Amino acid sequence: MKMGEVELSCLAYAKMYLHASQFPRSSVNGLLLSSSPAGAAVCITDCVPLLHSHLSLAPITQLALTQVDVWCSQTQQRIVGYYQANACVSDSSPTPCALKIAEKIFEQCNNAVLLMIDGEKMFPGCRVPPIVMYERKDARWALKDKHTIMLRQWEETCSIVNQLFSSGDQTLLVDFDSHLDDITKDWTNQKLNAKIMELISPANGNV
Amino acid sequence: MNIEKMRDKLRKWREENFRNSEQIVDVGEELINEHASKLGDDIWIIYEQVMIAALDCSRDDLAWSCLQELKRQFPDSHRVKRLAGMRLEALERYEDANKLYDSILQDDPTNTAARKRKISILRAQGKSSEAIRELNEYLEQFVGDQEAWHELSELYINEHDYAKAAFCLEELMMTNPHNHLYCEQYGEVKYTQGGLENLELARKYFAQALKLNNRNMRALFGLYMSASHVAASPKVSAKVKKDNVKYAAWAASQISRAYQMAGRGKKENKCSVKAVEEMLESMQITMS
Repeated sequence: MKMGEVELSCLAYAKMYLHASQFPRSSVNGLLLSSSPAGAAVCITDCVPLLHSHLSLAPITQLALTQVDVWCSQTQQRIVGYYQANACVSDSSPTPCALKIAEKIFEQCNNAVLLMIDGEKMFPGCRVPPIVMYERKDARWALKDKHTIMLRQWEETCSIVNQLFSSGDQTLLVDFDSHLDDITKDWTNQKLNAKIMELISPANGNV
Repeated sequence: MNIEKMRDKLRKWREENFRNSEQIVDVGEELINEHASKLGDDIWIIYEQVMIAALDCSRDDLAWSCLQELKRQFPDSHRVKRLAGMRLEALERYEDANKLYDSILQDDPTNTAARKRKISILRAQGKSSEAIRELNEYLEQFVGDQEAWHELSELYINEHDYAKAAFCLEELMMTNPHNHLYCEQYGEVKYTQGGLENLELARKYFAQALKLNNRNMRALFGLYMSASHVAASPKVSAKVKKDNVKYAAWAASQISRAYQMAGRGKKENKCSVKAVEEMLESMQITMS
């Protein structure tokens, strides 16, 4: 992979999509993780869904960031970005809250990405990934060139997401907010991760 | 599931104002299609409940048929007109919806439901400042409308106007002193506003929320974090520092205990339990 390229794994994409779908009337957000070493390119290998309410309030966001940080160091992952889906589907521009959190992540990771989910493109049969990515350039967050964003095996990814919906497994997704409502729920989504990895065909070498 | 059970479920969801629309459509559609004759007068309120849930699930076919039944039975009803308006909203025909609501209000200027729908339309269109303005006007007239106060607090939080959000929550806490959620949300708003005074206030309200419901994890974490921050502040007296260290330590032990109990026997929770334990340890180090 080249400098400035960003790769988004099926696992990360699927969970983000599921998160946005689970709370269609709220804004949702989460963190993008990488298990690859820091380099010129960014490989987003996983994500942690965080909130579906009061995104702009500090305490729970701070708590979640701290806990995910700890979990990352335990599992050799790094926080490399932030995603958000706005409640109002017609507006997928980053909110002040999104910029603030992305900025914090950028302090620790100099090729951090900010990913906005475009709700208007989330319908069955849409041929284009419903995402808009931003990167830090000249002290502001600028739109990233689409050609530097890699979603390998896009069709397979779409099919996996569809399978998760038809099997009802999309309800397995737990975000940090739901975890706080019931702490026996696992915000690291081990169960769901395993299901998704099962669906990803090993023959294609997709990770 | 038999009819009684289905009816009871729908009633429970109605009374608790749950928005589990997919389940409501599941249960409600079956009830309506197969057992309509056995529902008696209940059927009208079930039509209403199912119609709204159907709109939520983009089931316009189902919403339309429920609406037709209601229109037939209650031809001049404002309540049914409002449902027709909601359907137009779901189809994003906001102008038509507004016309309908305006006609209700012409007939009956005190119709709160129609006014609130108009405000919801502003919200759906992303016109937050207008929604806020209209909601404020509404609340001047209908000061006791809890739902409206809460909606306003949400709008202010989204706009990062924490001072005004706090004001709305204060109203809600006054009229609902036993509601732990309002106390906890108030704590979160104060914490977000920041500064020593606000952090101490936040801590107090998190504590109050815990008094009302000792299983509110957000309040517990909130108490832990605000007390820790106050204790770590160079501006506080030794006594205040000591007190807050005590509060934070108490909260930490409660959190630990809660997670130990949650993690028992569930392999998948090991990660979240470990993460919390490490977090508590690391924060303790920074505090001392």
